[in-house]
Amino acid sequence: MNGWNGKILDIDLTTLSFSSYPLDMEMARQYIGGRGLGARLLWDLVGPEVDPLSPENVLIFTNGPLTATGYQTSNRFSVTTKSPLTGTVLDANSGGYWGMQFKKTGYDVMIVRGRAEKPVWIEIKNSEITFHDASELWGMRVYALTEKLSQDNNRRNVLCIGPAGENLSRIASIMNDRDRALARGGPGAVMGSKNLKAVVVEGRERPEIVDKERFKFMLYETRKLLAASPLTSQALPEFGTVVLMNIMNNIGALATRNHQQTQFEGAEAISGEELTEKYLVRNASCWACPIGCTRITKTGKVEGEGPEFESTWAFGAQCGVDDLAAIIEVNSLCNDLGLDTISAGSTIACAMELSEKGYMDSDLRFGRADLLAPTVEEMAYRTDIGAELSDGSLRLATKYGHPELSMTAKGMEMPAYDPRGLQGQGLLYATSNRGGCHMRGNMIGLEVLGLPKLIDRFQVQGKSSFVILNQNSNAAIDSLVICKFINMGVADEYFARVLSAVTGIQYATGDMIKVGERIWNLERLYNNREGFTTKDDTLPPRLLTEAAVDGPSQGWVSNLEPMLKEYYRSRGWDENGVPTPKKLAELGLAELVELQRS
Amino acid sequence: MVDTRIYEMFREIGRDLYTANMISSHGGNLSIRLGDRVIIKRRGAMLGQLKPHDLIETRLDKNDSGVALASTELLVHRTVYMNTPALAICHCHPRTAVAFSLSRDDIVPIDNEASYLLKKVPIVMEEFASGTPQMANKVADALRNYKIIMLRGHGSFATGQTLDEAFFWSSTLEEACQIMLYAKQIDEPFIEYRKMSEAYNKF
Repeated sequence: MNGWNGKILDIDLTTLSFSSYPLDMEMARQYIGGRGLGARLLWDLVGPEVDPLSPENVLIFTNGPLTATGYQTSNRFSVTTKSPLTGTVLDANSGGYWGMQFKKTGYDVMIVRGRAEKPVWIEIKNSEITFHDASELWGMRVYALTEKLSQDNNRRNVLCIGPAGENLSRIASIMNDRDRALARGGPGAVMGSKNLKAVVVEGRERPEIVDKERFKFMLYETRKLLAASPLTSQALPEFGTVVLMNIMNNIGALATRNHQQTQFEGAEAISGEELTEKYLVRNASCWACPIGCTRITKTGKVEGEGPEFESTWAFGAQCGVDDLAAIIEVNSLCNDLGLDTISAGSTIACAMELSEKGYMDSDLRFGRADLLAPTVEEMAYRTDIGAELSDGSLRLATKYGHPELSMTAKGMEMPAYDPRGLQGQGLLYATSNRGGCHMRGNMIGLEVLGLPKLIDRFQVQGKSSFVILNQNSNAAIDSLVICKFINMGVADEYFARVLSAVTGIQYATGDMIKVGERIWNLERLYNNREGFTTKDDTLPPRLLTEAAVDGPSQGWVSNLEPMLKEYYRSRGWDENGVPTPKKLAELGLAELVELQRS
Repeated sequence: MVDTRIYEMFREIGRDLYTANMISSHGGNLSIRLGDRVIIKRRGAMLGQLKPHDLIETRLDKNDSGVALASTELLVHRTVYMNTPALAICHCHPRTAVAFSLSRDDIVPIDNEASYLLKKVPIVMEEFASGTPQMANKVADALRNYKIIMLRGHGSFATGQTLDEAFFWSSTLEEACQIMLYAKQIDEPFIEYRKMSEAYNKF
């Protein structure tokens, strides 16, 4: 039916039972799908009294109205839950094939509640649901399990956790299609806490498209625009996302050695150019994606997907490591164990600084490439030093009395872009609803890549407007659900038209951005309800007080305070960072909040 | 106090609009949105020769003393900001585009660049084509679906995240209209080089 399947699958693992009921189509119109729909459902289902690793937390898997339509990059899906890492609302989304296949089973949403008495895996074949005993699969790593459950990209797709999720690491990811990850914020631990090892999907239903002619035209125009953009037709296919390594390093915004520097002398050795020349076997793509940024790489020890830019940075510059083979291998290991590479790498970097400064007793030192893989193994199994690193850098640094050395926002490790050289990016991290994250809005486009046009990266006044627009836009894109890389060649107005063609509901560009704003505010309300306040909208003290020591960002700190004040005002929030009644009424959220209060 | 970086951006785009013949000496205007505020050209100032005091900061949602100094088109800028995701507006009087707006309901470029970028530019009409609420609403409504529109016989309104971007759409439109004019003058049969070109009319 018009993009959406119109059905929710609701699974209770405690009783190993399920039900299916209609999707509220007014809710779908207002929140579209993916992240938006997930946030709206989580608001009702999981309150502040719920421990993220208890049976009362839920996993909400969602696709969107564009998923599986064949529109470029319409392969993605989302999971929403309360994060065991941050305690905030969490959504993570992933590409590959699983999302497309899930949509074809006939459901838009799968809610997973409760906790199975013993390990299980779920098989969804079209609308048929089967619970299988997973006792013998428990303990298996991701690659072997994916193969055992008969992954077949276009027909049958496997989503699972590895040992890290089973051992409730708060930085555990959920993996799909072998190497793709719902990575951030620890959704793998939530799945592990439910004794759910895997979900396998097979489907045959294709989503309906209302205006096929208009859709065909948008498909054609999008293809042309992606071909015309050097980013999507040359840089990403040729070098993958790691193309950003030299770019970020050259402008002095590449966080290095746990954010002690903003340039890495070994950047060239771990760059996209180096990866392509020495380790690339071939390119690969997610379903329906003409960009093909995925790298299949090979070293003497491993062959597989990746690494992406953030993973290369986390185990590279952030750990002071310039050994690209070691980075490729530890990236592959993280995928196999089901660990978030950004958090894992940055937590190791934090341990390196704690150890170098004598606060922690370990052999970890910046540049010790040889210790990356063993440490990651120990993190996934919670053995030896890994037991202390398994829950992320904030818990680790706090244990050793130096929380200021955790490079996190709201407890989530920040990615590669150093806010001292990118003022807008700093505001983005500080206000991100799921913590230190670069996928809640893309200031790199504006401040570095010139998308749509370059703005001054050190400018402070007016930055909040860009951040807000990009946060809202990204929330909408995450709800369609498509890949943000398509946005490097194609503007929001195209997505509004595609959505209109698929659903038959007329969305103007502004309507879509308004949906994004509604989602952002609902996520904020969720965090407020969990006890988050303005004091949590901040960055590590290092970034606010220690100026960049050299390079093109030398002398700069993050000027967060004036940007944050402007941000609250521009968002229509009060000085405590709470959406005002006027803003809630404008977004249609007032009733929801009132209902909650009553 | 307006940041020097913001002033320089206004000055450069304003100067380029004038030198590109897209405005008269005192015509056109530029603005950006900073959250709940608007920075807009002072009434009567010359875009081609902007000084720091020619930029007026005023509230987006209600009047303050800034309105006494702001451009006569403040109302339309505010209305556009309140109804679209725009962060910047470029209003100018591109001559060829204005000429085409007198005889058609939309401008569908025939050149490759503008076909890629604009697809179609709708033309809206308002008897009092300057500063009225009716005109502001019509322009804002059209800009909900298009990044640049023409007001018949008057000029273009383009939106973007930056002034740079809004200027880009404006100059692209004028270039497209000049090409259309040349093609008309050459007056030879048009050889279609774009697939699905008829769909541009419905974009």
